[in-house]
Amino acid sequence: MNPLELLRGLATTLSMMFERPVTYQYPEIKRPVRERFKGRHELKRYDNGLEKCIGCSLCAAACPADAIFVESAENTDEERYSPGERYASTYEINMLRCIFCGYCEDACPTEAIVLEHNYELSFTNRRDAIYTRDMLLVPAPEHGRPTPMVTAPREFDRSIPEMADPQ
Amino acid sequence: MSVTLTIDGTEVTVPEGTLLVDAAKRRGTDVPVFCYHPKMKPVGMCRVCLVEIGRPARDRATGESLLDESGDPLIQFGPNLETACTITVGQGWQVRVSSEKAIQGRKEIVEYLLTSHPLDCPICDKGGECPLQDLTMGHGSGESRFLFDDKIRLAKRYPLGELIFLDRERCIQCARCTRFQDEIVGDPVIGFYERGRRLEIVTYSDPGFDSYFSGNTTDICPVGALTTADFRFGARPWELNSAASICPHCPVGCNLTLSTRREASNAGRDVVKRVMPRQNEQVNEIWICDKGRFVHHYARSPERLTSPRVRKNGKLVKASWNEALTRAAEGLKGAASSAVGIASGRLMNEDLFNLKELMAALGGRAILVDSMAGGNLIQRYGVGVGSNLGSLGKRDAVLVIAADLHEEAPIWWLRLKQAAERGTTLIVANARATRLDDYAKHRVRYGPGEAVQAALGLLHLNGGDPELARFEGDRALKSAARAIKRARNVTIFFGQEGLNYAGTEALARACALITESKGRVGKSNNGLVAVWPRANTQGAWDMGLRPEPAGLHRALAGAVAAYIVAADPVGDDPAAAAPFEKLSTLIVQDLFLTATAELADVVLPAQAFVERAGTFTSGERRVQRLYPAVGALAGSLPDWKIVANLAHRLEVDLEDKAAPLVFERIAAAVPDYLGLSYDDLAAVEPQWPEVGGADLYFGGTAYANKQGLGVQLAPRGAGRPLKWKAPPRASAGKDLLLTPVTVLYDRGSALRHSRLLEGRIAPLQLILHPDEIERLGLSEAGEVEISWDGRSERLKFAASTDVPPGSALVPRGAGLALSDPTPVTVRRSNS
Amino acid sequence: MTEHIVLRHRDIERIDQLEVYLENGGFRAFESIVRKKSPEQVIDIVKKSGLRGRGGAGFPTGVKWSFLTPDVYPRYVVANADESEPGTFKDREIMERNPFQFLEGVAICAYAAQAEVAYIYCRAEFWDLTLELDRKIEQLKEGGLLGKKLFGSDFSLEMYTHLGAGAYICGEETALLESLEGKLGQPRLRPPFPAAEGLYGKPTVVNNVETLTNLPLIIDRGVDWYRKIGTEKSTGTKVFSVSGNIELPGNYELPLGTTFRELIFEHAGGIPNGHAIKAILPAGASAPILPASDEVLDTKMDYESVPEVGSSLGSASIIVIDETVDIAWVESKITDFFEHESCGKCTPCRDGTYWMKHIFERIMDDTAQAHEIDLLHTVGIGIQGKCLCALGDFAALAVTTAVERFRPDFDLHVQGKSSKAA
Repeated sequence: MNPLELLRGLATTLSMMFERPVTYQYPEIKRPVRERFKGRHELKRYDNGLEKCIGCSLCAAACPADAIFVESAENTDEERYSPGERYASTYEINMLRCIFCGYCEDACPTEAIVLEHNYELSFTNRRDAIYTRDMLLVPAPEHGRPTPMVTAPREFDRSIPEMADPQ
Repeated sequence: MSVTLTIDGTEVTVPEGTLLVDAAKRRGTDVPVFCYHPKMKPVGMCRVCLVEIGRPARDRATGESLLDESGDPLIQFGPNLETACTITVGQGWQVRVSSEKAIQGRKEIVEYLLTSHPLDCPICDKGGECPLQDLTMGHGSGESRFLFDDKIRLAKRYPLGELIFLDRERCIQCARCTRFQDEIVGDPVIGFYERGRRLEIVTYSDPGFDSYFSGNTTDICPVGALTTADFRFGARPWELNSAASICPHCPVGCNLTLSTRREASNAGRDVVKRVMPRQNEQVNEIWICDKGRFVHHYARSPERLTSPRVRKNGKLVKASWNEALTRAAEGLKGAASSAVGIASGRLMNEDLFNLKELMAALGGRAILVDSMAGGNLIQRYGVGVGSNLGSLGKRDAVLVIAADLHEEAPIWWLRLKQAAERGTTLIVANARATRLDDYAKHRVRYGPGEAVQAALGLLHLNGGDPELARFEGDRALKSAARAIKRARNVTIFFGQEGLNYAGTEALARACALITESKGRVGKSNNGLVAVWPRANTQGAWDMGLRPEPAGLHRALAGAVAAYIVAADPVGDDPAAAAPFEKLSTLIVQDLFLTATAELADVVLPAQAFVERAGTFTSGERRVQRLYPAVGALAGSLPDWKIVANLAHRLEVDLEDKAAPLVFERIAAAVPDYLGLSYDDLAAVEPQWPEVGGADLYFGGTAYANKQGLGVQLAPRGAGRPLKWKAPPRASAGKDLLLTPVTVLYDRGSALRHSRLLEGRIAPLQLILHPDEIERLGLSEAGEVEISWDGRSERLKFAASTDVPPGSALVPRGAGLALSDPTPVTVRRSNS
Repeated sequence: MTEHIVLRHRDIERIDQLEVYLENGGFRAFESIVRKKSPEQVIDIVKKSGLRGRGGAGFPTGVKWSFLTPDVYPRYVVANADESEPGTFKDREIMERNPFQFLEGVAICAYAAQAEVAYIYCRAEFWDLTLELDRKIEQLKEGGLLGKKLFGSDFSLEMYTHLGAGAYICGEETALLESLEGKLGQPRLRPPFPAAEGLYGKPTVVNNVETLTNLPLIIDRGVDWYRKIGTEKSTGTKVFSVSGNIELPGNYELPLGTTFRELIFEHAGGIPNGHAIKAILPAGASAPILPASDEVLDTKMDYESVPEVGSSLGSASIIVIDETVDIAWVESKITDFFEHESCGKCTPCRDGTYWMKHIFERIMDDTAQAHEIDLLHTVGIGIQGKCLCALGDFAALAVTTAVERFRPDFDLHVQGKSSKAA
C-alpha cells in the first residue's frame, strides 16, 4: 500500500484538526435559537398581570395532536383571571403529544399562547409530560399583579378583541 | 288540497297553507331563518329569509290568468324581496331563492345583523353550534363595512333569573324566547322593553324568569344571548359527546340528549355537561321542562354511595360486594317466602323484572311503593297505538281528572294546552283550580276528595249503570259529559290528587268505563293515561309489581326480610320506621344513604340513570331506551345486575350480563312486551320539523333523534266486563281534609342534591283558604298546629283562594310525612 | 279658498263650544245618517266623494271601510291622533279648535263601520288636549249625541281617548293597535289587515283625524259639492303644515292640487331674509327630498303629481329649506330621529338606522372618508324594500335621495370645507 495514498485518504481528516470545533458543550453551553423557533409554550399576560388566555379552547380545537386540554370558568370582579367573562380554569398541554406545529398560536384570538424558545423538555415519567396552567403561565410582569385579582366592576367586561394591553 | 309551485326551477307540491320556507325545506333548499321557528307563528322580524316571488299575473277586470307569447302563464315578480317565512305557497308561483337579487338581499340583512353583534364567538357558549355563525358563513359577506368602534356596548351578563342569563349584546331581537314563553308556554314572564337597537329582553316575574320551561329558550335562541346557569362557559360544543336518554322524573318520558365531556374534576373521566331535549314529536316534541334539564347534578353528588355497606356490631361499615351480597343472600334465604321486595317506579324495567323474578323464586312478594292504582287497567284500557297528543284536533276531547299536570307532568300540560288551542275539547276536573283550567272548555269542580263521584257522574251520562244517577252532578259536569259523548276520540288522564289507594282504584275503573262507552278501547287517541308519581310506575305494573292497598305496614306484617330498591319509606315518613326495625334482615339498594338505608343491615350502591342502559315505560305506555352517557361511579352497579348477583347466591337464574339480555327475557315473559327488542326501540323515522340538520333550520341546538323513538304498547282491550266501584267513604267531619298536592320542585333526593334548583323548591307550608285563616283566627306570620291520628306537626301557612272549602293543601314531598289525604285538626300554634 | 272645511274654526268663532257647533249644523249629518241611511249607503257616499286618507298613504277611505270582514262583531273604529311626523301639526289644531267636527266624523265612521266603540289614540304629548277631548265626549254624552240607542235607533256608540307613550311608530296603524291593546308598539305582519283582524283581532277601521273631520260636511253638503274641490283623483282640501325657512309658518287648508309655489310664496309669505329656496321635504322626514326647481315648485300638491317628481305628499308637512342650509345636516337630524324612533322589530331599520347615524356622526365631524358617503347611500338603499312596515323605507328615503340630489353638500364634509350650518 502506498503511504501517499494513505495520506491522501486522510487529508480531509487531518486538515480538520486545525479547524475550530463546532460542537457546543451542552448543557454547559447552550446554542442560541432563531427568533421564530418553536419551543415550549407560554401563556402570556397583559402588562397589568391579567392572563391573555380566555379559555376559548380554540387551541385545543386546532391542535392536530390533541395535546391541549382546556376547561373554562367565569371570571368575577372579585376573582378575575382574564379580561371579560371567561378564563381557563384548567389548561394542560401534553408535551409527549405536542408536535410543535404552532397551530395553537395561529388559532389563539388573544395571542395568549406563544411557542417560545425553551426546548429542554425531558421527563422521567409520562405524568410529568403534562404541563399545567401554572407551569405554562408566565410570571406577572413587574408592574402587574398576580391573578386572580380584584378589579373594579365593569372595568374588564370584554375579552376580545381588545388586544391592546389594558391600562 | 295541495299546491304546486316552482322553487329555483324545480317543481314542488306541498299542502295548501304551507309556508314558503317549509316548502323550500321539503324540496331541500335551505332558506336561512332567525326569527322563524316551525313551532311558532311566523312574525317576519329578522328579514333574512328574503326571496323573490313571481305570481301568475291576472287580468284585473276578469280575474283570468294572463298568458305570455308562448301561451304559458305570465309570471310577475314584485319590485321587492319578500319574506319566505310569512308567506304561504300559491299555485303556479315561481320562487327564486338563489337569484342574485335574493342572495344580495340576504347578504345585506346578515351584514346589518352583525353590525350590532359583538362577534365574541371565542367565548360564546353557542360558538360552534350557532345559527348566526353558520348563516354568516353561508349567506353573509366576508367583510363588514361597519366600523368596529361604532358597535353598541351593552350588558354582557344579565341574569334573567338564577337559571337563565342574558347577554344583551348578542341578542338579535328575534323574539323567539318571548314568543315561546307567550305562545307555546303561556307564561309571558319575559318580554321586550324599549325600542330600536335598545330593545332588550327583561323579565317581569319574581323570581326572575319564573317558568317551568325556561331552559327551552336557550335551545331555540339562534345566538348565544341566552345561556343556562348550568352550561355557562361549561364546554365548547365541538368537544361534547352525546348520549340518548329518557328523563327519569315523570311519566311523560321526555327524550333527552346528554352532552358529556371529560373533566379534570372527575379525574379526566366523562361528566354530563348539559341535558338537552331530543326530538320525539310523539312524546315531547323538542321541549323539556326545567326539572329534567337542571336536576341531573344529583348523579354527581359526592354523597353517592360508592361501596356496599354491611352492619357490623350495630354500625354500617364499608364492605366488599361479595361480603355484602353474601350477607344479603343469607338474610333472604332465611326468610324465603317471608321476604318482601319493595321497589318504586324510579327503577327501569330490567331492574323491576329481575326483582320480581327473584321474589317470585323465593316465594315472597314484590311490592310497588307508589300508592296509586290502575296500572292493570291501563294495560287493558290504555291509549291505543299511534296516540299522540300532538295530533289531537277539533273533534277530540281530553279529560284530566284529579291531577295538576303543570306540576306533575309539565310536558303533558304543555301539549294539552296546545291541543286545546287547536280546538280540542279539554275538560279539567279537580277540587281546586289548576293551571290547565285556563285552557279548558269545561271546568268541573268537585268537593275535596270527591274525584270518583265526579267520574261516576261523567260515566252515568256516558251510558253507565242507571244506579249511577245519584252521581249526576251539576251543570258543568253534565255539559262535560255531553262533550265526552260527542267527541270523536277521548283520552283520559287521571291522577291521585285527593285520593288514597282505594280512591284511585275506583277512579281508574270509572275512567276505564267511560272510555269503554262508544267502543273506544284500543283505538289511537283513545284510552286511559295514569299520571303516575314516578317515571316508570307503569313499567313496574307491567313487570308484575303491585302496591299493597292497605299500605306498607301491612305488607311488612309477618315479613322477616325486606329488600328495598329505589325507595325510601322511612325518609318519606319517619313514623313508619318501626316495622323495618323489627325485620331480621333489611337490604336497601339506592344511590344515597337514605333514612331507610341507615336502618339497613346491607346497603347496596346502585347507578344513576346517566350511567345506565335500560328501558322506561311511559304513562302513554311507550317503551323507550336509555343509553349510558358516562362511566359508572366506581363501586356501583346497575340495579338489575345487583339483583341478579344476589339471585345467583340463592341459586336463582337471572340474567346478569347485559341489559339487552334482561330485556330479551322480559320480551319472552311479559305478555305485552312479547317479541320486543332493543333494536325495535332504537328504530327511528323522519320527523317534521326537521331538526339538527347541517343548516340548523331550527336555529338552535335541539337534537335530532337518531337513537330511537320507542315503541308504544297496544292495550289488550276491555276483555271481561268491568264493574264500577263506589267511592270510598269520606270522613272529614268538622276537620279539614288535608290534601297533599304534587309540586314539580319537591324535596325529593334528586332536587336536594342539585344545587341549581335549590331556591325553587316548594316550601313546606299549609295552604289555607283566607276564610279558613280568618275562622281560625290566625295572624299573618304565625304557625299552625295540625294533628291527626294522634300525631301533630307545627307548620307555617300561606293563603290561597284556590283551596276548596273544607280542605287544606300541603306540597307533597316537602317534608310532611303524609301521602294520602287525611282529615286533620288545625289550630293556632300556642307559641 | 274662501271657506275652510276642516279648519272651520277660522271661519266660525267659538266653534269649539258645543252650542256654537250645533248652531252651525253640527251633528246634523250624524243624526241624519243614523235615522235615514244604512251603513252601506254611508260607505257609498264616502266612496263617491273620493275622500282619501290624510294620514299619508292617501288610500280611498270608503274603499278601506268596505274591506271590513262581513258579519264579524264587535268592530272598532280608531282615530289615529298620534300625529308624530316631523313638521306635521294639523291634527292638533283640528282637535284643539274644531273638536266637535272631528268627534262627529268619528261617530259617522263608527256608524258606517257598525262599530259601537271608538278609540281616539293620541300621542303622549297631547295629554292636555286629551283631557279636553274627554270633557267634550262627556258633553256629547250629556247631550244625547253619544251613548245607547242613539236617536231612537239600535245604534249605540261609546268613545274613549287613549294616550300613547311617545313612539313615532305608533302612528303606523298596526303598531297603534298593538299599543292600544297595551302591548309594545311594534307593527304587525300584514295581511291580515286591520279591516279583517284589527283591535283584539276584530275588524277595525283606523283613520287619521283630518280624514274623519272631513266626513260631517261631505254627508251634510253632499258628494257633488265635495268633488268640486281639489282635483279629479284627489278631491277636497288638505291641511298643509308649512315649516322651516318660511315667512309665515303654519297650517294652510287649500284644495288638493294647489302648487308648491302658490302655497309657499302666496300663502306662506315666501322665504325670509331674501334667501332663495333650496329644497322641499314634502312629507316631513319620511319622503324623498325635492330640490326646489321650477318644475317642482309648479307641481300640484296632490296624491298623483308629487310622485311624478320623485317624492310623495304623505301627510303634507311641507318643510321648506333655503340656500343657507346644509342638506347633510338636515339629513343627519332626520337620521337621528329615525334611529331614535325605529321600533326595533325588524333588522334593516333597527340596525340600518343605527349604522347610518354613526356614519353621519363622522360626516358632521368632517372625519368621514369619501367612500363613506357612498356607503351611507348603500346602507340606505339596503334598508328599502326589506322592512316589515313602511316606516323602514321612510327612514332611509330622505337620506338616499339627498345623497343622490344634493351630493355636493355631503362632499363638502369629506373635504373638510363644511360651513357647519346650524
